Amino acid sequence: MMQSSPLNFRRAVIWIGRLVLGGIFVYAGISKLIFPNTHLWPMFVLRFSISVNLSSFAQQVESYKIISPEASQMVAHILPFVEIALGLLLLIGWRLRIWATAITGIMVGFLAVVTRAYLLHMDINCGCFGTPEKLTGWTVVRDSAFAALALVMTIFVFLEARQPHPWSAPEKASLISDH
Amino acid sequence: MSRRALLALAVVLAFLGGRLLLSRGVHPAPTVRARTDRATQPSSSGEPNPSASDAHPTPALPTTPAATREASAASESATPATPVPQDANGIPDVDPHKAFGSKSAPISMEVFSDFQCPACKTLFMTTNRQLLESYVSTGKVYLIHRDFPLPMHAHSVVAARYGRAAAQIGKFEQVEQVLFQNQEKWEQTGDVDGTVAGALSAAEMAKVRALVKGGTLDAAIDKDRKLGQMYNVSQTPTTVFHCKGQTYPYGGAMSFDTLKQFLDQLLSQK
Repeated sequence: MMQSSPLNFRRAVIWIGRLVLGGIFVYAGISKLIFPNTHLWPMFVLRFSISVNLSSFAQQVESYKIISPEASQMVAHILPFVEIALGLLLLIGWRLRIWATAITGIMVGFLAVVTRAYLLHMDINCGCFGTPEKLTGWTVVRDSAFAALALVMTIFVFLEARQPHPWSAPEKASLISDH
Repeated sequence: MSRRALLALAVVLAFLGGRLLLSRGVHPAPTVRARTDRATQPSSSGEPNPSASDAHPTPALPTTPAATREASAASESATPATPVPQDANGIPDVDPHKAFGSKSAPISMEVFSDFQCPACKTLFMTTNRQLLESYVSTGKVYLIHRDFPLPMHAHSVVAARYGRAAAQIGKFEQVEQVLFQNQEKWEQTGDVDGTVAGALSAAEMAKVRALVKGGTLDAAIDKDRKLGQMYNVSQTPTTVFHCKGQTYPYGGAMSFDTLKQFLDQLLSQK
């Protein structure tokens, strides 16, 4: 019978990180695609909804005044899909070290960009989710919390990976202890 | 399917389901006409239906020509506005000086806009110019400007007043252009008057100033704002498309290519 994974602090943090960050990333990506315009049918209306939503997101990316309008368009058309993919991969838990590192990198990037805008007193929308949301100190605090969670989760994932996993290799683990 | 995949799927569905429940829905909103018909329909006893009018207490939208005339007369007492006609898609309270194209066009577009909003500027400078050339001048689209000054912008109400005043002397197009073109300047200085003066002659500017000082324009701006609230406008620009009895409100700026594709599909719809 398969031995269940004993829950310790590190594993609990990894689970919380995966559920929270994975869920938020998937939601953030999907919300950018289908909010605020949620007309889903007929098909040409859905295509228009997504196009308008991505155009609005591109405007928000551009308002940070870090990259050119063309680059903003490119980012706006790629980022939501990357967020969905990374969120799903984190939730599934496949190759966790790679995707946890990627999500940490992205979260730290978001935090840097948002903090810069806040310190420059830029009166802009955050662009974090699909619906307009003013960038405030709360946005910085929230992103800091998520970035910290991502960082701690990634460190714990690497630490856990150095030990034999009780789900995948219980026999191997007992063999090692026998010797 | 593994436990992990099922868990991931459940979390995603929970997020989406929750958000969709909170959003305004997945279907196009009913038309203004349908809503107002309900609101103004008398009950079987001949009395106005109070519950129906309570459902949409904000703008009392006329639906019949007689009602339109009455509303027009009432609004004239509040503002020295021009007549209030209806277009082919049954949109009331249209100031002809703030609308472009043929009233009988198959598609009507109401653009809820704020002169101080950067995305509105983008929409005006890029998309709407091409729209005017390709669809409005050819009689396919009737384009209506609506004021929706956001509270977060310090000078947008003042700019809306100047826009309204300019519309009343038939100079809306020029003033709209100069306000959007110089948005960054007057946003900093607050000098809306000076910006508008750059686009009008001294005599025209005197008329505009008199209308702005008259204080009668706010009622009309408020009317547009209430109409926007009825469409759940929460951001600017929001464009409300009316075609063949359907209403599609869209928040955000859009490129002309995307808009063109959508308009062509709307026009080809049976």
